[in-house]
Amino acid sequence: MNIVACIKETPSTTAEKSFGPDMRLERRKEDAIPNPFDEYTIEEALRQQEKHAGSTVTILCMGPATATDTLRKALAMGGDRAVLVSDSALAGSDAIGTARVLAAALQKIGFDLALFGSAAADAYGGVVPSATAEFLGLPLLSYASKLDLSGDSTARIQRAAEIGYNEAEAPLPALVSVVKSINEPRYPSMKGIMASKKKPLDTFSLADLGLDPSSVGGAAARERAISSEKVSTQRKGEMYQGNEGAADRVVAFLIEQKVL
Amino acid sequence: MDFTLSAEQQMIRDMCREFAEAEIKPRAEEMDRGAAFPYDLIHKMADLGLLGLPFPEEFGGAGADFLSYCIALEEIGRGDASVGITMEAHTSLGATPFFLYGTEEQKHEYLVPLARGEQLWAFGLTEPGAGSDSGGTQTHAELRGGAWHINGAKNFITNAGTEMTGGVTITAVTGMQADGHKEITNLIVPKGTPGYIIGNAYHKMGWRASDTRPLSFEDCRVPEGNVLGRRGDGFRQFMHILDLGRVAIGALSVGLAQAAFDEARTYAGERQQFGKPIATFQAIQFKLADMAMEIELARLMYYKAAWLHMQGQPFTKEASMAKLFASETAKRAADQAVQIHGGYGFMDEYPVSRFWRNVKVHEIGEGTSEVQRAIIAKHL
Repeated sequence: MNIVACIKETPSTTAEKSFGPDMRLERRKEDAIPNPFDEYTIEEALRQQEKHAGSTVTILCMGPATATDTLRKALAMGGDRAVLVSDSALAGSDAIGTARVLAAALQKIGFDLALFGSAAADAYGGVVPSATAEFLGLPLLSYASKLDLSGDSTARIQRAAEIGYNEAEAPLPALVSVVKSINEPRYPSMKGIMASKKKPLDTFSLADLGLDPSSVGGAAARERAISSEKVSTQRKGEMYQGNEGAADRVVAFLIEQKVL
Repeated sequence: MDFTLSAEQQMIRDMCREFAEAEIKPRAEEMDRGAAFPYDLIHKMADLGLLGLPFPEEFGGAGADFLSYCIALEEIGRGDASVGITMEAHTSLGATPFFLYGTEEQKHEYLVPLARGEQLWAFGLTEPGAGSDSGGTQTHAELRGGAWHINGAKNFITNAGTEMTGGVTITAVTGMQADGHKEITNLIVPKGTPGYIIGNAYHKMGWRASDTRPLSFEDCRVPEGNVLGRRGDGFRQFMHILDLGRVAIGALSVGLAQAAFDEARTYAGERQQFGKPIATFQAIQFKLADMAMEIELARLMYYKAAWLHMQGQPFTKEASMAKLFASETAKRAADQAVQIHGGYGFMDEYPVSRFWRNVKVHEIGEGTSEVQRAIIAKHL
């Protein structure tokens, strides 16, 4: 079975963010990490590989040329090979443009199961998995908290619902997006780290994928960022001090908030 | 000159930092208080390849370089010094001698399970009457009827008595050399050998979650082939092993110093006095600045000593400098971290009091500060 884990390179969640004049996030190589949500994507790919002997795992990423470092980090967790789609014409792509590229790359790689995170920690769009499925004309099982492949033909997932969970299934090849509760990502082992640079890593350009540069990138983006504002993290707190009646006031407050 | 770490070194550092933060640090207080050896944690580290970092893959190791191993130790030691010393004593003192001096058979028999982390191994050099003065070694072994008959005692031996320990390699006097000096040979003694008695674990001031034991040998017999390398090579072997170990202890000390700095800086930003955080006072800022500077210098020194070794150049002096400066830096850092915490620092509810207790042995183990100064002086 060919499993592809689609990941994104995002700035570290703790890194200071800034925007260029075109309202694009300024990405610095030293802040780049694999999207934290995608650790679950990679882990799930590796677990499915362990369950299905003879499977291969490919890690796929669209990003700047320097994203090879991020792919090596992913390969340190496991997987057989990585593919980076990188092209200067891709800068400024929106979610739809990204999905168009991933769909073409997935088609070129060939797959039975393509895994995605539920969103990326930079833009939180969460659109890419479904848009990619649409371009491919294949089913997407979204927000999976459990994934079972029966034989090589069907994917079955559980998706948390308000009460209990929903079950859904689709014939392979299919796309599946996963949520954090699906697994506990492993630490890369020391051997995994040492092996990561020896694994094959291919780079595809738009020409390799047969895509017209005008269909992707900033020019084709329909989504546009207009402004940004820093979220104020100051919270309003109430402080009750001293021994006189402070406990009563805390209890009254908790009752008012329906905590007690 | 290039100070950039390789991609592998950076990944190993990041992974160990994350592992220490998530898996080790939250348990450090409990492990210290209960003086309990954390088997589950050590098994996890073994599974991740952390107990065989600098050995080739063919012997079960990860195939990383020596600096990677030291960087990993710094990060693990930043999580907890006890776990750090367990990893250091196993790798530098237990497994490295087999890698450097073992025959092919010895490497396959002993090194492979150690590098995989299936077993721990100890190195027994220190004796009641012989620490840094190894010429005072009393433990002796006599070759009779194809077996070494060992008699004597060792003390302060790390990793000797855990449930996963495979054995100990000891220094023993096996005769006299032509120059009148004792002939020292390193002998391999598997756990369970009759006459090899492992004493009760010491009660310690620091490194409490690590295993430290006195050992005694009463007509303990091991086969003639249990010599590590060649007969009479013991002194030369352990001098080199200690040089390597000192770089590693330097790295471990930097980890402890960094942990003390981390706590002090966080606390200084939170603790309010005279209506503002104490970090706004220059008296506190200068302490933090000195700590940060010394930690950076100590780190550079162990990097350099490791690098010299990797280049195949002499590094004895630099290894002593790295160990001495890093351990004394860690001592000052732990001391200032307690001072910045004030009365709270004296209480066990903050980790800095544990750092203060742990750091003392960094100035003693694998050669005291005085011995390091003597080694440096000899090389001037």
